[in-house]
Amino acid sequence: MKKIAVLFAAAVLTLGACAAPSGPVHNENDALSAITAAEHETKRAAKAGFEWRDTGKLIKKAKAALKKGDYDTAVKLANKAKRQSSHALEQAQLAKNAGPHFN
Amino acid sequence: MKKFLIAVSALTMLGGAAISSAQASPSEDLKQFRAYFFKKFPGVKLQDYANGIYALDATRRFEWEAMEEFPPYEDGVEVGKKLFNKYDLGSCFQKGGIGIKQYYPYWDKKTQKVRTLEQDIMACLKKKGVDTKKAKIGWKKGKLAAISAYMAYTSRGKPTSVTIDPSKASLNAYNKGKIFFYAKRGQLNMACADCHVYNAGMLIRGNLLSPALGHTTHFPVWRRKWAKKTAAKKGKSGPLDGFGTIHRRYGGCNKQVRAKPFKAQSETYRDLEYFHTYMSNGIKLNGPSVRQ
Repeated sequence: MKKIAVLFAAAVLTLGACAAPSGPVHNENDALSAITAAEHETKRAAKAGFEWRDTGKLIKKAKAALKKGDYDTAVKLANKAKRQSSHALEQAQLAKNAGPHFN
Repeated sequence: MKKFLIAVSALTMLGGAAISSAQASPSEDLKQFRAYFFKKFPGVKLQDYANGIYALDATRRFEWEAMEEFPPYEDGVEVGKKLFNKYDLGSCFQKGGIGIKQYYPYWDKKTQKVRTLEQDIMACLKKKGVDTKKAKIGWKKGKLAAISAYMAYTSRGKPTSVTIDPSKASLNAYNKGKIFFYAKRGQLNMACADCHVYNAGMLIRGNLLSPALGHTTHFPVWRRKWAKKTAAKKGKSGPLDGFGTIHRRYGGCNKQVRAKPFKAQSETYRDLEYFHTYMSNGIKLNGPSVRQ
């Protein structure tokens, strides 16, 4: 019985710890630099002619989150936008050898 | 090490093949392009590619032929004709602008750029002193597409006759258009060719993918999707609702693969149109045409 009680208490404590809200990880500077990096990468992708459709929207949302003080969301969205533009730049690189493959 | 060397040599060979096909001459490109479609769809004749998906699917063709008996674009073509006459656009073109669409796009030696029919119409309107903003004449749809549709109508039955100028700048534009056509882009990582060459004739949800061969013959098109969308936006339907230029369609395709579209009549799309139309050389024009 004692063992069961101990196990139950441990389980409750563990679950409680998991459910407890963790505080914000990022600050305003993190969000600003993530947005700047995303914008820079997106400009490069646009210049190469390979910008993705929704990257601009992600940056806009990141800026809105920054304005609201939701820095974690801002960083998350800005990083996603940056990743998209990095992939777009990879496509631009591969496009240099693009051609038909009819076989 | 051996595996690595094999991989490197295979990549070099593949790269070499891609480079050599990227550098093939326009006439070689055309030959290979057609041979591919003739092999993929044996029995479909060259001229039948002007009918897009209706060259491939008998049931859809039946429905389309029924629709073409009372074409929804007819009133729009009439509007285009009225505008053409109202602004005396014929005076800006050779042969009075009648039966000339098959020569578009062309290489303009003066500007060293590809020139489209829509650009020439717009330039003519401006020459005539038309305030295009006030007259609500945009690049992709509506009145401009209607004028273009009327001009296409007068070219029906004439074979596509695009000339690729042999100058370096023209070939450069052609190759840019070709690279655009075969390069993967957008979040879905798809090229024009992925849908309209390699997967032409396949279903994408409920839609059949059209073959790129013959694409340009039926533009501007009357799309049911566009007509529905415009009518819903305005709250009533009009004769120009379904019209769209080929650049409108390019933009739509780019959006569908989640790539940011270019502006209509941008150099990128004009170069693409140059390559794309040349691939259909010899196929008779049948625009404007109804599409899904």
